[in-house]
Amino acid sequence: MSDIERADHNDLLDVAPGSPHDSLLSETLSYVVGLGLAVLLTAISFWVASTGSLWGPGVAVGLAVLAIAQMGVHLVFFLHITSGPDNTNNVLALAFGVLIVFLVMVGTIWIMAHMSANMGPSPEMMNLQMQH
Amino acid sequence: MTTEAATIGMTHSGSEDTGLGHRGPESKSIVVPYGFWLFVLSDIVLFSALFATYASLVHATDYGPTTNQLFSRTTAAWETAALLLSTFVCGLALIAAKRRNMMWTQVWLVATGLFGLIFLIFELREFVEFIESGAGPQRSAFLSSFFTLVGCHGAHVTAGLMWLGTMMAQIWAKGFREHILRRLLCFTIFWHALDIIWVAIFTIVYLIGTLP
Amino acid sequence: MSPVFGKLTWAAIPVHEPIALATSVVVILAIAGMGIWITANKWWPYLWHEYITSCDHKRIGIMYIVLGLVMFVRGFADAIMMRAHQYLAVGEGPGYLAPEHYNQIFSAHGTIMIFFVAMPLVIGFMNFVVPLQLGVRDVAFPTLNNVSFWLNASGALLVNVSLFVGEFARTGWLAFPPLSEKMFSPGVGVDYYLVALQISGVGTVLTGVNFVTTILKIRAPGMSYFRMPVFCWTSLASNLLIIAAFPVLTVTLALLMLDRYLGFHFFTNDGGGNSMLYMNLIWVWGHPEVYILVLPAFGIYSEVAATFSGKPLFGYRSMVFATMVICIVSFTVWLHHFFTMGAGADVNAVFGIASMIIGVPTGVKIYNWLFTMYGGRVRFNVPVYYLLGFMLLFVGGGLTGVLLAIPPVDFVVHNSLFLVAHFHHVIIPGVVFAIFAGYHYWFPKAFGFTLDERLGKAGFWCWFVGFNLAFMPSYLLGFWGGTRRMQHISDPSWKPWLAVELVGAFFIAAALAITVWQLLYSIRTREQRRDLTGDPWDGRTLEWLTLSPPPHYNFAVLPDVHGEEAYWHRKQLAIEREELIPEPNYQPIEMPVNTPTGVIVAFFSSLCGFAIIWYIWWLAILGVVGAFAVFVWYAWRDEHEHIIPIEEVIANARERRRIRMDALHTVSQST
Repeated sequence: MSDIERADHNDLLDVAPGSPHDSLLSETLSYVVGLGLAVLLTAISFWVASTGSLWGPGVAVGLAVLAIAQMGVHLVFFLHITSGPDNTNNVLALAFGVLIVFLVMVGTIWIMAHMSANMGPSPEMMNLQMQH
Repeated sequence: MTTEAATIGMTHSGSEDTGLGHRGPESKSIVVPYGFWLFVLSDIVLFSALFATYASLVHATDYGPTTNQLFSRTTAAWETAALLLSTFVCGLALIAAKRRNMMWTQVWLVATGLFGLIFLIFELREFVEFIESGAGPQRSAFLSSFFTLVGCHGAHVTAGLMWLGTMMAQIWAKGFREHILRRLLCFTIFWHALDIIWVAIFTIVYLIGTLP
Repeated sequence: MSPVFGKLTWAAIPVHEPIALATSVVVILAIAGMGIWITANKWWPYLWHEYITSCDHKRIGIMYIVLGLVMFVRGFADAIMMRAHQYLAVGEGPGYLAPEHYNQIFSAHGTIMIFFVAMPLVIGFMNFVVPLQLGVRDVAFPTLNNVSFWLNASGALLVNVSLFVGEFARTGWLAFPPLSEKMFSPGVGVDYYLVALQISGVGTVLTGVNFVTTILKIRAPGMSYFRMPVFCWTSLASNLLIIAAFPVLTVTLALLMLDRYLGFHFFTNDGGGNSMLYMNLIWVWGHPEVYILVLPAFGIYSEVAATFSGKPLFGYRSMVFATMVICIVSFTVWLHHFFTMGAGADVNAVFGIASMIIGVPTGVKIYNWLFTMYGGRVRFNVPVYYLLGFMLLFVGGGLTGVLLAIPPVDFVVHNSLFLVAHFHHVIIPGVVFAIFAGYHYWFPKAFGFTLDERLGKAGFWCWFVGFNLAFMPSYLLGFWGGTRRMQHISDPSWKPWLAVELVGAFFIAAALAITVWQLLYSIRTREQRRDLTGDPWDGRTLEWLTLSPPPHYNFAVLPDVHGEEAYWHRKQLAIEREELIPEPNYQPIEMPVNTPTGVIVAFFSSLCGFAIIWYIWWLAILGVVGAFAVFVWYAWRDEHEHIIPIEEVIANARERRRIRMDALHTVSQST
């Protein structure tokens, strides 16, 4: 048996990201459930954004949480990223990616928000100060 | 493990891939999608840089149009629905392909493409509307970053549709060979990832961005 | 502007700039001469089949290294021009380079050295060595590997074309806006820079994906993570950083291109643009980039230290741990490149502390190399010279880095010659010395004979002396107020120091000349230094299991790995028993076919790139369509692999076994 053939038997022990497995029903169910949850989370997001009944500053946080939850739904039900031992490399890669995304986004926003830290009052403020 | 699954080698029997490397090189059915997954993650980092840019420039409107003045949540809702349905039927196409069912594979792939096209049409109409009302990307930094972030996602969707067309043609011409199935799997990974990015876009740009 | 030629006119050829013109003529003649020489010797079919269309990681690695070494000459020419000019342009002297020209030279020097010298060389070594060390036949995606190389070469080509058609950027190696915006840089220089880097950047990201996949998924049986050689660990970390960082570079350069080409307002002064955002984003990429370069260099030093000390690497697990810590932390320090941009004390403090923390794992590594050599029987071959030179010098460079990590200190010396001294102080002993060490170490594996040792040592001393003379004075000049990138220096008392630096540059020129001479001389006298066994250094890792050069498929049968230092144990066992392991079960081997996809896609990319730079839109569209068509044509092929017949495999393997048995008998007779 050549290396390639031997290796093909070995992929019983590891799973590609995104590849479905098991019976037709269970596979289809995975996507249907994923769709249902995604629709639900989307609808809730739109409602949260337009309702006046939630505390203002909490809305943005709530939307972020709902978005992350929906991304999780996509990852689990559509991309079949699970926590099984056969998925370790896939999860580690994802974790690395998430870390980088976090550092880039939070880092940039934090830095750019502070860029005027050493600046004096802005021109508009100066005008107001001089007007009284 | 079912026979059809064994044929294309996309199953697991619950044993460990803990990287102990006891088995030698993994097969192509594992290696190719994993490499593609890494590429998709690099693409997500690319989008994170665009999101960071957008977040930094969202208020740099240069006394021009702002998010609340421009964005329509209805459009965003339609776009979301189209892309979500597209991603769903894409999954169904993969299930059909695994079972070597030519008709259903092509049907679901056509549906994937159509929903994707609907998404793009909504988006293009939105862009044209903004540009015609003087809110084009050259108007302000905020608009530059909006058009680039959302436009980059749209460009990825467009490229995906071209890839989809090529895949449909290949499957039709060559059938369900190993390497073609691997490519289809890679396409579905790409397509699902694009929907994940869209979740971030509609949340950050269209919902959080238009809060009072 | 014409619809057919865009902005391109005859005025783009630098007939009024003697230096640029002379250089262009010389380069074109050299290239034409090489083309004629190859044609006359009928070497094109060989080159096409054995290198240009090859998907063999060893051949691709060699092509990367050739690209890097050739571009080193160009980058160094820029350097010596700068040093000579600086010496002449002190006080009243005018120098010989106008500011517009000088600015292009330092921009080209930095761009070429980082993107088209250091990156190709490091990637070339990873290409050649990693699959061999992992005990496998090739990387995960061999065709993609070929495409990556050619995209890199395409970028290098465009940068070189800028020398004789148009101009290069005058904005430094990172092209900061607003200077790099259309308003202040209306010429094609910045566009050459942007397009070349975008094209080669795509190639690099694909390399990152390729190598992470290879290292995580494609290893010899029994090679668990903690049995991989340290060079493979550092390659893993470096390629993870490539995947993480290069997309940010792509975005940043693309945003600048959108500003320049379509009038967007990301970094412009008007329209709400924020040029500080560019600084932030470019350094998010820029800092991990230097670790992308230095981590594999550390890996090379680890291999050299262990092999030439005759001992296993000291503290393998702490090395691995330190490497992965550096990998992660390198993504948390980028603001130290712009402490002075004004983010305030809190932000500066956090990044300053992180920048100091990152020195710790590197310190761990220095101790490990030291303890590897301590108690070993060190053989002072050329790679060890470079290792020792590195250990001595890099610590100093690293310490000046920790100094710069303190924001108040950085406020004094930011963008001064002190900074220039610091980064050359880490990159030359760090990366360049490692490349020369690796070059001497793995040359016999690639070509079947070793390089001449005496010339190698002479080259090292020229580098060592030259580097110190060329850069140590800059620390002083920086403290005394010397700003970087100045075409004219007003303080005449600095002239002696600049003279010392110029002498240093001449020593480095000598080192490069010796390297070229060494190669030619070694080829001419190669029979005296044939590597007959494939293991000239008494190596410890799997690449030394093969003959030199290895067969196309590396190993007849993938080796079974039973512990760390897979090859060393196997070798000791063979020496003990005075026999090789029993013949394994040979099989025919499937290897990927050659493909012209890479070179053709790169051709269309270069065409498209050139067209975009000169606003020749029809040609740009043609380039894109062409590249896409090639891609689809490639995707349609049915033949992916060819089979190497079992007879050939067995013949090669038995030849290797015969040679190794002879070597064993020689060893046992002498003991």
